[in-house]
Amino acid sequence: MALMERSEWYDVARDTEWTPRYVTWEELFPPELSGGEGLPDDVWRTYDEPYKISYREYVDVQRQKDAGAYSVQAALERADIYNNADPAWISILKEHYGAVALVEYGAALQEARFARWCKAPGLRNMAVFGMLDEMRHGQIQLYFPHEYVKKDRQFEWSHASMFSNNWVSLGARHFFDDMLMTRDMVSTSFCANFSFETGFTNLQFIGLSGDAANSGDYTFSKLIQSIQTDEARHAQLGTPLLQMMIENGQRDKAQKEIDISFWRSYRLFTILSGIPMDYYVPLEARHTSFKEFMEEWIVTQFMRELEDLGLSKPWYWDIFMRDISEHHHGQQLGTYSWRPTLWWNPAAGVSPEERDWLEEKYPGWNDTFGKVWDVMIDNFVNGRTEKTVPGTLPMICNLSQLPIVGTPSQTLRDTSVVYKGRRYHFASEVDKWIFEDNPERYRYQKNLVDRFLGGDIEPADLGGVLEYMGLGSIGPSGDDAHGYSWVESYRKQLADAG
Amino acid sequence: MSATSSVSRPVGPILQSGDVAEAVADAAKVDNPDSNVEVRDHGAYVRVEVDGGECVLRRATIEEELGRPFKMSELEIIMSSFTGRIDTGNDEIRFYR
Ligand SMILES: [Fe+2]
Ligand SMILES: [Fe+2]
Repeated sequence: MALMERSEWYDVARDTEWTPRYVTWEELFPPELSGGEGLPDDVWRTYDEPYKISYREYVDVQRQKDAGAYSVQAALERADIYNNADPAWISILKEHYGAVALVEYGAALQEARFARWCKAPGLRNMAVFGMLDEMRHGQIQLYFPHEYVKKDRQFEWSHASMFSNNWVSLGARHFFDDMLMTRDMVSTSFCANFSFETGFTNLQFIGLSGDAANSGDYTFSKLIQSIQTDEARHAQLGTPLLQMMIENGQRDKAQKEIDISFWRSYRLFTILSGIPMDYYVPLEARHTSFKEFMEEWIVTQFMRELEDLGLSKPWYWDIFMRDISEHHHGQQLGTYSWRPTLWWNPAAGVSPEERDWLEEKYPGWNDTFGKVWDVMIDNFVNGRTEKTVPGTLPMICNLSQLPIVGTPSQTLRDTSVVYKGRRYHFASEVDKWIFEDNPERYRYQKNLVDRFLGGDIEPADLGGVLEYMGLGSIGPSGDDAHGYSWVESYRKQLADAG
Repeated sequence: MSATSSVSRPVGPILQSGDVAEAVADAAKVDNPDSNVEVRDHGAYVRVEVDGGECVLRRATIEEELGRPFKMSELEIIMSSFTGRIDTGNDEIRFYR
């Protein structure tokens, strides 16, 4: 028997709309959860999801995606990536799984909230698929690193990081709580489906997939692109909502939410994608810089989608365009210096050849960031390794919860504001703007330095901080990915010169 | 590799490299005869970009290029991203601005 065309029955099948009799419409969809205040009631039924799929198709397609990813993993297990890949590549896996796997379950909750609270029946239906997608992402990204746990306890963080107070987790949790978990459905959709999924996840899940293949890790390459095929579908949930807002006179509100979530996403990805792409990916596999990936996926592709909808570039566009050549270099300096606070082993990525690459991709790197590395290298070469790890905590942003960094002698300055008798510090003008837009939302969060100074961390020294962050208990602290072997070439340079 | 495209208002799928991606890229040329179609190979993924703000992909054309039956929904298995808006049908998928 021939199946009917999906389009012939789809609207009827997915339209689970009814008229509530025991509760009012407002009780069924309270504004603080459902959002969309000021939009006419009859607009929700007109929501038409652009990316349609039936349950039968969904199950069929998802089964094939999983079969593809798991079979590559099984077939390549004997290739023993763990022992054969560059150690810095293994660090990328550790950082990725620790930062991403559990968060996917958070995203499943976010999609579940859409399925319950959204006033548009079409979106509720697609959000159920989105929820199942995110469960798949959580499961598969816990399963894949599991084979490495017996070889290396730092992989334990894949499951543990989000339950810990590691500074990366504090930053990531603050971001996801703000973007995915604590806004009404419509606002969440702009933050999650639009800025985060239509924009930034492409960087990590497709961009990095290319680096993975170049590095010989076909398992990871296949895995993350497979995940992104789900994202490409459920990311579409937000677009018709944006259009509804714009058509009903709420363009400015939508624009502001995009501006907030775009910046927050961007800064998080400087650590998740920026550092690995420019410093960890083995040089022979590193063809595209973070900045180039940003230009491809965000500056070109995402901005086109934004402008097509009638929205504008964020107000801080000039700051952003400058920032993509700078900020992640500062974060690399910071994370590498504070390497005992990481759950992975960072690569320095500053051998002479790598510095040439950095200078080519980021003209001026040697005169700014390079100068700070020169000091660190001098310490390494002369056996003063202890001087390469700071004994105090860095300044932490009261919005992003991430370290405050800048370009040496150019942009490193304190951006702060006093609110209700307390001074708050920020990693940029934009972080400050986000805070000031809604200080009551953000003021109570204690960043790591607040906790340290407030007596939450005992003993109040670096050892106490590491213990507080789970280092040494969940898995060992980070140390140079290559055991400092890259310092050799500088030692030789020095000997030759002497 | 330049990040900006030489085609104007490009739309189209971004696909995991492989047989199906090649067939879809070829189908894009067949199904959009009046448009400039650019296929950019990024190693692990392929960008298919059709200029003029519309890209049509027909199931029948993909089947022909692939030499086997193909369900339109199967495109999702390798479609990691796309540019433009999407319109999904059983026999045709359309990207547009
Ligand atoms: Fe996901
Ligand atoms: Fe997602």
